[in-house]
Parts: sequence; structure tokens; C-alpha cells
Amino acid sequence: MSSKFWYLTKQSLKKKVKSKWFLGVNIMLAIVIIALININSIIAFFGGDFSEKVKIMVIDKTELSYPIFKASMDELQKLNEDTFTQEMKITKTAKPQKELEKNLKGNNIVIVFENDDKNYVTAKVISKEKIDNTTYQYLSQGLNTTKSAVALAKTNVDPNVLAKVTSPMEIERVILNNQKSTDENMEMIMSTIFPTLILPFFMLIIFLVQMIGGEICEEKTTKSMEIIISNVSPKIHLLSKVLASNIFIITQGILLILYAVIGLLISTKGQLSLGENISSLLKTLIDTGFTTKLWSLLPAAIIMLILSFIAYSLIAGILASMTTNMEDFQQIQTPIMLVLLAGYYLAIMAGMFNGSLLIRILSYVPFISCLVAPSLYIIGQTTMMDVLISIIVLIIVIALMIKYGLKVYKVGILNYSNEKIWSRFAKALKSKDV
Amino acid sequence: MLQVKNIVKYYGNNKAVDNLSFEVKDGEIFGLLGENGAGKTTTFRIIMGLLEATEGEVLLDGKHIDYSITDKIGFVTEERSLLTKMTVKEQIIFYGILKGMKEKEIEKELEKWLKGFQIEDYENRKIKELSKGNQQKVQFISAVIHHPKLLILDEPFTGLDPINVELMKKAIFKLQKEGCSIIFSSHQMEHIENFCEKLIILVKGKPIVDGYVKDIKKAYKKKNILIRGENLPIKELEKMKGIVSITKIQDEYEVKIEDENIAPKVFQKIKNCNITKYDVTEPTLNEIFIAKVGEVHE
Repeated sequence: MSSKFWYLTKQSLKKKVKSKWFLGVNIMLAIVIIALININSIIAFFGGDFSEKVKIMVIDKTELSYPIFKASMDELQKLNEDTFTQEMKITKTAKPQKELEKNLKGNNIVIVFENDDKNYVTAKVISKEKIDNTTYQYLSQGLNTTKSAVALAKTNVDPNVLAKVTSPMEIERVILNNQKSTDENMEMIMSTIFPTLILPFFMLIIFLVQMIGGEICEEKTTKSMEIIISNVSPKIHLLSKVLASNIFIITQGILLILYAVIGLLISTKGQLSLGENISSLLKTLIDTGFTTKLWSLLPAAIIMLILSFIAYSLIAGILASMTTNMEDFQQIQTPIMLVLLAGYYLAIMAGMFNGSLLIRILSYVPFISCLVAPSLYIIGQTTMMDVLISIIVLIIVIALMIKYGLKVYKVGILNYSNEKIWSRFAKALKSKDV
Repeated sequence: MLQVKNIVKYYGNNKAVDNLSFEVKDGEIFGLLGENGAGKTTTFRIIMGLLEATEGEVLLDGKHIDYSITDKIGFVTEERSLLTKMTVKEQIIFYGILKGMKEKEIEKELEKWLKGFQIEDYENRKIKELSKGNQQKVQFISAVIHHPKLLILDEPFTGLDPINVELMKKAIFKLQKEGCSIIFSSHQMEHIENFCEKLIILVKGKPIVDGYVKDIKKAYKKKNILIRGENLPIKELEKMKGIVSITKIQDEYEVKIEDENIAPKVFQKIKNCNITKYDVTEPTLNEIFIAKVGEVHE
């Protein structure tokens, strides 16, 4: 019997890998991933420049503002290098304003500082087009700092005092609860980095549900199920599908990583270095403790992920056994997708719940725990013990699905009645054959 | 030998099979008849081990049917049970391996069967590209590729033209000679009459006719007389006691009588009418089926 199990697994896997769908999706994924990683080069190829610097030319009629403004902007850029969309190059110019305005190109900016009796100093910001929001925010911040410093200088404040006043505040952050995240930036990182990290898993689960459900539905609608089941038990049949689908999506996951590596190789011209932007992002992640938490979570996260894949494939298989046509199959996919989507959004918004009991309980719920539990752990709202509880709950649910779900599967695969799918499911649960 | 002993099957409160018993010896072809929903599919599923009987038991060569012996059974389902995206070869290898065969063994057998059914050119064609008749041949081959000990044929001639029906009949008789026990189900009674020595007619899961075809026909009192002649007194015949009906079929009359004792009386009435044909025949299985099933519904 075990040879038939391996044969069915091999056959199911072969069918998926050899399909045109698999080939098509992978070509598309490879193109998208490689293109996203090399987006700067693509934009540059079409004449754009992602890394183009914003030239800020300063006409300083106050003879005091330029050095303060430049120092202030340089400091701001240094402190916020991850969020600066465009690097700024600030220079002083003696050219007349009219000439500068005439020759103003692209996203370059002209700033004119003028003395003002009432407000000490005013600034005119001239650009050809609308200035990018983030750039404008930092520009306003730099100008405000300049105004305060000029005002203090004009009121004869000691230069040393002035330097101390204009320098940024030194903050030492202390959190007494050592289980909590040590950095408020973590939640911001979670909302930007985590959706990207869990997106492939979300996609893989969707693939998994469609694969296993589609295959069972096809065997039922073509009536070949009866012949297969007369030779192997429903248990062997379902478990072979679960194994084949899981091998398939793990392979697909590895392929996604491979496409990313190829993308990086192209981006760095074969050096396989992470590039300036990614290195700086990684540095931020290390500084905030994100990577440390991620590493400590990795073994548990992998176990949870594999168990969740198994749970999703079992539920998809059991529900698909009730289908008699593709329309039924679409119906059974909807609740699975909704649960998965809920898990995805809860994981992204985990920080908003401030570690409440509700989100903690939700992190134990199978089918969404694989997304919510790691998210909560990384932002420090739950402990490793909570992650372990989620794993145990998942194992119990899988065991229950194997015990009771398989019996429903046995009844379902031979049921071709015209009743509504959920009514068929309810009857299968009550059936004496179960 | 297949032994079905007093099987009963309930679906909830609905009795799908009601105390059904029969035996199919090695090399015997057995007919299982019944209108739609009579319990044939449930009976087949119980025999195949797909469903458990509520009561009773099914034995193949003295052993309970489970996954250890289902490799010895072949099943041609009423609706085509083929994975249509596969090629003919892939499909038959797939089912053959599930029957416990080795791939090389299947390929060797497949060559013979494809040649026998004159579809050797279709070996690498996808099943969905084949005609209904050729798909039916593939389904048949996939059910017999492992030389089963028991073969269940549920409407095996669906979609086949008369030439291909003959090809399949030959294949079935060959399997019978090899000692295969065959259960045959069809709504086309002439096929049952051609193939089966014994049969059962099911109505609402209950056997209402059971035995050898010859005995069943003999026991059925109503007979038919085929008459050909000139100036036949049809109106007088219609008034005779014991005459059920008279139907003109081309240049002959088919006279249905209540029992064979009426036949001499009919002959007396027409003997002077220059008759060229007078033939008392057994009723067809179709007539017996309609009459018996009708009786239960009345």
C-alpha cells in the first residue's frame, strides 16, 4: 500500500510541475521579482533617475542663513537617510535670481533668504514643478531651524550657546519591561517590512488551496475518483495529495528565493552584495533588534508554517471532497480565503492592538496563527511561550482533522447529490458511514 | 467466486439495498438489472469495498473484500471515469499501477489491447481528444489490463457502434473463458440476453426476479405468437379470451397471449387463412422487466 501512496504522491507532484499554469506563473513571478529588485536600473533605462540628487541653490541675502540651513539639512539627511526619497545637494550661489529661475531644470530648487525687520528672515522656495511631499517636509523643517538660529544670532546670543540650542536632542531610551520591544521604530518597521515578508507565504497558501482543491475536484467531476478509491483508501489518497501539494509549494517558495537572488545578482552585476539601499535597510533592522527577534523566532516560525500548510491542505482537501463541479469548488474557496485574508491584515495591524487579550487569543487560532503569532512576537507583544501554544493548538487541530475530517472525506468523495455543498457537508458529518 | 450474502444498506432511514444475495461463479456472467435508483450502484460500491453494508457480507474467493484484494477487481463505471487531460498510455499506466502492476508489464499488455481494439495509433493522444466510443474502449482496457478475477461492467457498450460492440463482446467472452467472474448491468436487455446465464432484477433495492434466464422466461406465462398470412380474422382474435394484445409489425402480427394454452386455440381460428408463419415465442427480457417492475409500482 505504501508503494501506491508514493506513486500517487509522485503522480500528483508531476502533474502540478508539468502543468502550463506552473510554468506561466513562474515566468511571471521571476519577471516581477527581478524587475522590482532592479527597478532603479529599469527607470534609468527609460530616461528616469531614481537616485538623482535634488540640487538646492541658495541665494543668501542675509549673509547668515546659508551655513545654518546647510548644517541643518545635512543633519536631517543623516538622521533620516532611510526615509529621504531623494538626496539633496545644497550649494550657495551668487547668480541672480532671474537667471536661476530661467535655467531651473527638473526637480531642482532655488531658495532665497532675505532679511525681514519683523520676522528676522524670510525664505522664498522656487521650483519648476510641485516638490515631492517628503522633500518639502524636510525642507520646511530645515528652514524653521534656520529661522530660529538666525533670530538667536541677530539677538546677539553667544555662538556656543547657539550651537547647543540648534543641535538635536540626545535621547536615551529606557524600557523597564524587557519583554517588550526596545524600540518604538519596530512597529513602524512591522508595518512596512512585515507585509512584504509574509506576502510570499500568503501567496503560497493560496496556491496550496487551489492546487489540492482543484485536483480533488477534477478527480470527482471526471468520476475517476471511484476507480482510484477502489484501489487505495481515502486516507492514502488524501494524504498523498497533502504531501504532494506541500512539496510543491515548498519548491515554489525556494524558487521565489532563487528569483530574488537572480534579481540581486543582476542588480549588483554579479557581485551578490546587498546594494547600498538594502544594506542600509538591513542596518536599520539590526539596530532595532528586528533581525535578532527574527532569528530567535525562525525555528518556531518554520514549524508553524509547515503545520499551517498541512492544516490548509487538509481543510481544502476535505471541503473539495464535497464538490461536484468547479462552481462548488469556488464556493469552498471563499471562506478559506477570507480567513487567510483576516490573518494577513491582523498580522500587519498587530501593533494597533497594544497587546490586548483579543489579539493574543487570535494568535492561537489555527489557520491565522502562522501570520499573527510571529508578528506579535517580533513587536514584543507576546512571548515565545505564546508562539509554542499556537503550535500546540495547531497540532491538535490537525490531529482532529485527520480523525474526523478523513471520515467526512470518505463520504464526500462518493457523494454526487444535487444538494447545496454546505448541506452535503453537514450530512456527511452526521452520516453513520462516518 | 463472488458471494453476496444477505446484504442490506441503509442511507439514513432509506433502505437502498434490501436483503440481496447472489453468487457469481468463476467464468460466469451475471446480470444485475434494475431501473434508475434501484440500488445497483450501491451494490457495486459495496462489492468494490467502497461502502460498508449495514448487514450481510461480500466474499471474493472466500475472503472479505478489502484493499488487500481489490487489485483483483475491475470496474467499468456507467459514466466515464477517465482523467481527460492524460494521454491514453498515461491513464492506463496510472490505473494499472494502482492495481499493483509494474509499468513494463502494463506497457506489454497495453500494446495487445490497443491492437485488439484497433486504437493503437491513439496511444499518445489525450483522452479528451478521443471520440466517446474510443474513450469507452480506453475505460474498458483500464478495467481489465490487470486480468481481474471479478469484473463489474456497468453499461459497458455506451457510445459504441455495432462493430465496436462486437469487438468488446469478444473481449468479454475471452475474459469469461479465462475464468473471470463478470457482473453485467445494462438497460439494453438484448445485451443481457446475449451475455447472462443468471440475473437478478432489483426494484427499490429488493430482488424481485432471481435465477437462470431460461427458467425466468419459462416461468413467465405470457407468450408471443408471430403470425403471417392472408385475410387473418384479427377482429375475432381480439375478442378471444386470453389474448392480451395484437400488434402489426410490418407484414406480421404479434399476438400476446396470457399463457401458452391459448396458442392452439388461436391456431384453430386462423388455420384456414393461408398462413405462411406461425411461431410461438418466449417473451423478451425487456417485456418481463417492464411487467415485473410495473407490478411492483402498481
